[in-house]
Amino acid sequence: MSSDDPRAPRGLVVEEDVRFTLVELCQTCAIGEDDVRAFVLEGLLEPESNDGGEWLFAGLALRRARIAARLSRDLGLNLAGTALALDLLDEIARLRMKLSQMPPPHDEPPHLAG
Amino acid sequence: MKFKDYYEILGVKRDATPDEIKAAYRKLARKYHPDVSKEPQAEARFKELGEAHEVLKDAEKRALYDRMGSQWKSGQDFTPQPGWDAGFEFRGGESEMGDFDPSDFFEAFFGRRQARGGGRRPNVHAQGEDHHAKILVDLEDAYRGAQKSITLRMPSYDAAGRLTSHERRIDVGIPKGIRAGQHLRLAGQGAPGMGKGAAGDLYLEVAFNPHPVFRVEDRDVFVSLALAPWEAALGAKVETPTPEGPIELTIPAGSAPGRQMRLRGRGIPGNPAGDLYVVLSVSLPPANTEDEKEAYRALARAFPVNPRGGRSER
Repeated sequence: MSSDDPRAPRGLVVEEDVRFTLVELCQTCAIGEDDVRAFVLEGLLEPESNDGGEWLFAGLALRRARIAARLSRDLGLNLAGTALALDLLDEIARLRMKLSQMPPPHDEPPHLAG
Repeated sequence: MKFKDYYEILGVKRDATPDEIKAAYRKLARKYHPDVSKEPQAEARFKELGEAHEVLKDAEKRALYDRMGSQWKSGQDFTPQPGWDAGFEFRGGESEMGDFDPSDFFEAFFGRRQARGGGRRPNVHAQGEDHHAKILVDLEDAYRGAQKSITLRMPSYDAAGRLTSHERRIDVGIPKGIRAGQHLRLAGQGAPGMGKGAAGDLYLEVAFNPHPVFRVEDRDVFVSLALAPWEAALGAKVETPTPEGPIELTIPAGSAPGRQMRLRGRGIPGNPAGDLYVVLSVSLPPANTEDEKEAYRALARAFPVNPRGGRSER
């Protein structure tokens, strides 16, 4: 990787400019190759392309793999549970975004006649 | 040093069984896990839970902790008495919690060596570990790109294997178009390698500082714009803030509150660029003076409308 700015190391945007090999993803997330293989078998991670028989993961896999590793370790989740939790978290994020784009509800208390 | 009541933290009685302790921990851990929780103090709370569980799930540590007696309350000033651990023998097993970051209180009890044993992972290829940190940037940085100088605290082990930390400053170029949740990779800025191994990389997870005017959703940016009733009804040219500076926005006649005007491509730059949404609201001026009241009465005469039914308002 080259730095095109002489003053400061320029960050590469992982989600756009980076793809990981299996070994790189393991190193970055501090998890084992067996963990990543299990994530792939569970459909939790999807290798982007199979370059000469080797898996390549899109930059987005970084966030997913790290969250999966933390959830399974911290909450004692098994693979299926981890995958489900990740899917639900994505769904919640989508719904939150939709919710925040809706006009705010009017919470006026009803005016009671009397 | 403040006393920590590990039983209180987990919400269990002092005579709780290991199963009860595990169930209480799991339940609270699911609630406060930083990847799951929206609670404001989730991260600190989760850390505290982990520490409490670390002690209470382990018969040896729990027995040692129980020796302090039950008269202590959370937050009380606490100094361990000399000889408090006499007669206890530890197996010295490694903690199974990867990111366990013990409090002073924990360390006073169980020492530092217990918390983390040095490299958890056998480092066969001797490449330095990758490090992860978070960085807060301003929304304006995503529009223009920026140079940031950040200070990171890095845990490290001294010659005796004890955990210490040191600070270092790093200059980072923030690329134009960065979005919250994305990661920046700085090659070679992680842990130094061993021997001839290359240094690890540093990953910075980007989040935006809260902005007083703009709200960001992925690539799109939202700003709310208050209009006077006549501006909304008749149309107007109104100065509107955008992250790139104020612009003159033409409000079409008959704009209802809640209407969103999309300024295509004026969100966070990129390919594709996001959009800027101007969310209109109507601000009703209060009628204080007689002139103002008369103006509203004139409105009432001009619009013989029942807003709760009858003719359509739009």
